[in-house]
Amino acid sequence: MSPRNPGTELDLSWISKVQVNQPAVLRRAQQIQARRTVKKEWQAAWLLKAVTFIDLTTLSGDDTYSNIQRLCYKAKYPIRKDLLEALNMHDKGITTAAVCVYPARVCDAVKALQVASCHIPVASVATGFPAGQTHLKTRLEEIKLAVEDGAMEIDVVINRTLVLTGQWEGSDFIKTSTGKETVNATFPVAIVMLRAIRDFFWKTGNKVGFKPAGGIRSAKDSLAWLSLIKEELGDEWLKPELFRIGASALLSDIERQIYHHVTGRYAAYHDLPMC
Amino acid sequence: MAATRAESRAPEIFATMEYGPAPESHACALAWLDTQDRCLGHYVSGKWLKPENRKSVPCQDPVTGEGLASCLQAQAEDVAAAVEAARAALESWSGLPGASRAKHLTRLAKMIQKHQRLLWTLESLVTGRAVREVRDRDVPLAQQLLQYHAVQAHIQEEALAGWEPMGVIGLILPPTFSFLEMMWRICPALAVGCTVVVLAPPASLTPLLLAQLAGELGQFPGILNVLSGPAALALALAAQPGVQKVAFCGAIEGGLRLLIQESVWDEAMRRLQARMARLRVGRGLDGAVDMGARGAAARELAQRYEQEALSQGAQVFQAGDVPLDSPFFPPTLVSELPPSSPCAQAEVPWPLVLASPFRTAKEALAVANGTPRGGGASVWSERLGQALELGYGLRVGTVWINAHGLRDPAVPAGGCKESGSSWHGGLDGLYEYLRPPGTPPRRPCHSQDLNYDTFGLAVPSALPAGPETGPSPAPPYGLFVGGRFQAPGARSSRPIRDAQGNLHGYVAEGGAKDIRVAVEAAHQAAPGWVGQSPGARAALLWALAAALECREPALASRLQRHGVQPKAAQAEVELSVRRLRAWGARAQAQSHSLQVAELRGPVLRLREPLGVLAIVCPDECPLLAFVSLLAPALAHGNTVVVVPSETCPIPALEVCQDMASSLPAGLVNVVTGDRDHLTRCLALHQDVQALWYFGSAQGSQFAEWASAGNLKPVWAKGGCPQAWDQEAGGAGPELELRAARTKALWLPMGD
Repeated sequence: MSPRNPGTELDLSWISKVQVNQPAVLRRAQQIQARRTVKKEWQAAWLLKAVTFIDLTTLSGDDTYSNIQRLCYKAKYPIRKDLLEALNMHDKGITTAAVCVYPARVCDAVKALQVASCHIPVASVATGFPAGQTHLKTRLEEIKLAVEDGAMEIDVVINRTLVLTGQWEGSDFIKTSTGKETVNATFPVAIVMLRAIRDFFWKTGNKVGFKPAGGIRSAKDSLAWLSLIKEELGDEWLKPELFRIGASALLSDIERQIYHHVTGRYAAYHDLPMC
Repeated sequence: MAATRAESRAPEIFATMEYGPAPESHACALAWLDTQDRCLGHYVSGKWLKPENRKSVPCQDPVTGEGLASCLQAQAEDVAAAVEAARAALESWSGLPGASRAKHLTRLAKMIQKHQRLLWTLESLVTGRAVREVRDRDVPLAQQLLQYHAVQAHIQEEALAGWEPMGVIGLILPPTFSFLEMMWRICPALAVGCTVVVLAPPASLTPLLLAQLAGELGQFPGILNVLSGPAALALALAAQPGVQKVAFCGAIEGGLRLLIQESVWDEAMRRLQARMARLRVGRGLDGAVDMGARGAAARELAQRYEQEALSQGAQVFQAGDVPLDSPFFPPTLVSELPPSSPCAQAEVPWPLVLASPFRTAKEALAVANGTPRGGGASVWSERLGQALELGYGLRVGTVWINAHGLRDPAVPAGGCKESGSSWHGGLDGLYEYLRPPGTPPRRPCHSQDLNYDTFGLAVPSALPAGPETGPSPAPPYGLFVGGRFQAPGARSSRPIRDAQGNLHGYVAEGGAKDIRVAVEAAHQAAPGWVGQSPGARAALLWALAAALECREPALASRLQRHGVQPKAAQAEVELSVRRLRAWGARAQAQSHSLQVAELRGPVLRLREPLGVLAIVCPDECPLLAFVSLLAPALAHGNTVVVVPSETCPIPALEVCQDMASSLPAGLVNVVTGDRDHLTRCLALHQDVQALWYFGSAQGSQFAEWASAGNLKPVWAKGGCPQAWDQEAGGAGPELELRAARTKALWLPMGD
């Protein structure tokens, strides 16, 4: 994590001045996907970079130790070793940025990572995820328990009732959505959020991180997200301290693309380990 | 594997997160050039034409300088051959039912779809423009253009009943252009039944490819013919008998001017620079490049402007590090340029942006309108009221609110002032290539003998010419300027004789100074008149009609003195009254809104006044022609300077008496005198915004020549008489088209 956002006096005039030109945002969102392609080695390197931003996530009601363990192992070894060697990237310590689980599974994740002697942080969604419609008291208690279990990062669902009635909260990292909504991370929404981050940085010098979550499944999508960050915030935001992708299926597609880049063939389902 | 590992650059890229090259293969473009053995001729009547003994010009990759092909340069005889091919094709093409032409255009759209990769790689390769711009925007828009115009052709018989295709159209393309600009012009021309000869600049390839695609459809090979040749050949094309109209355009892509309100100047500049810094400049055929190169000439132009701006005290911000000796020029933001410095006045070249601050919206509008250019502008504001106020006030062809550069085949795009007065797209674009019902094709009437330096220069001196036999009370003497009768500046008069040759009376001899005063008066009256609602304008025209009705006996007797039969004289007055009422009624409901694909929200097609309109009346129908021209001009919100019939100006002066009491001062100004002389003064006046000329053939030629000074739209009939008493001639749709200009106002919606 980057240094905490020390916060600032609440100045509602900043918020009231915000104007969004929706048609222009939609056009920009469309352009960014078409205008910034990376090919060949650039694509491979960018995809590996994307791996390091992934919060490898499982948020299922039927999560148990065994699939959490598998997830943690995959987080440590996200790409087959021979593929990394072919790219001369085997010694760069490429892992995902974190594993992300429900509070009750934090213990399992911490244990699994310890067994694999891996220092990837465990992130936990907390505070009545995904609706956030629980009492403040239980929400705070939930965070406390998750941290006691060893969670290093907490994805908080803010109280949207407060937001919609104009009572704002601050944060170190902002996330597009829980990933459990009908519409999750979209480019137009991301552009607006990224520009808010940029404005806050220009005004206060504090960098707030960004995490799109939900619906990012293909390697191609992840490249578009990387170029979006690069274009809107710059290279300084392209590090796990300031950028994460919340995803579960994305990693296998990235691995498939790397496989194709290295071997020139498309991988069969059984060529790559599942996560 | 070991070898790959050692060579792998992945670690380096992983660390820097740089973008890499994303080259788009242009093998198919080269293969196409090979089919012509890298020597391109002209494409005429469905065949490649490679005449012997022609100069050839190399076509080079603007980035690498690599020779791609050589292009044979056309000569006058090649132009003649191409025009002949177009004429031959015209007969069958224009005779087709619209539905058949629609089918053919749809086939062409499909042809383009099938060969789009070839089209976009060739265009990007030759022009240096970013391939994604061509691929993602131009090619789809080219297909939409064909489809839109196919639909228009399909419904032509009912929607445009009576209008006839003009004939062979000559299209002259500028040295730098996008093939899309050619499509904007050829699609409407072909749709309505015209055939086209395109004169492309010396080394351009895409127009030839398009002609080949059209030619390979099999039927109607001669409808689109393309020649490459020097700009000087344009004269030969324009002078070629059979060419009914010449369309041309200037360099398409210029730099931009940005006006930023002082209160947000710092913030806006910061954001602008941040965004500019992310633009990627490079080879056009790279899929991840925002901006390509435009060749050495464009680069030099940009460099010179930058140097001059710096020497005049400007601040220059350039994005990215583009090496000095590369063919590229970085996106450049120029600011702090003193408003009166030469660079601030000059045209800004591509790819520069000149930013200057303003204090109030009113000031911004004055600055924006204070240039000779009037193509398009965008207004960025979250205040809807203010944005609309500016959108309506800008004297340009297209205004985008909170957007820029959107185009759609259904939306007319054009300009005003020196950005030209022709239209592409929408219905307005179709009218450009149509003759109004009941007008004959234009005859070639270009005379080599006309001396532009002396035409209308001298005014014959008028001497006392015998006893006056005019009626009493005699109409007031003088020029009707600024709402009252005034003595002419030259203090001399011209005799007016009746049908028997007797002296009817004297009218004032107007001159250059009187024209100047009249134009000033018209300008002063303009804001008030434009601001009137159509209803208020209609009411005034109706009031004038009523006054004319009361004056009917006097007017009829004036006309009779000039040889008009009593019945006809009375009919002429009655018809004049009806014309005023009819145009008053038509003044309502001019604008409408369009719906387009690319935008959520309406596009308003506004019909705006031309401004100060000069009207030179014909000799025939001295009252009816005067009123028939005046009424539509006023109904559409113009203020006018009218030169009435030279031989019989007295009926017009009679009407002026009523205008003095019923119309705002300066709205209508009537200057009598020598028509040639007054035409000269008006045509050479830079602040007259449009000219209608109904005099001689020579005068038409002069008016067109002289008006080129400020590119004011000219409507000159070349000496052809007009049937003023017919609906088509005296109150037809052409008057309505000519009396106003179109503006497209894009209004995006969004929550």
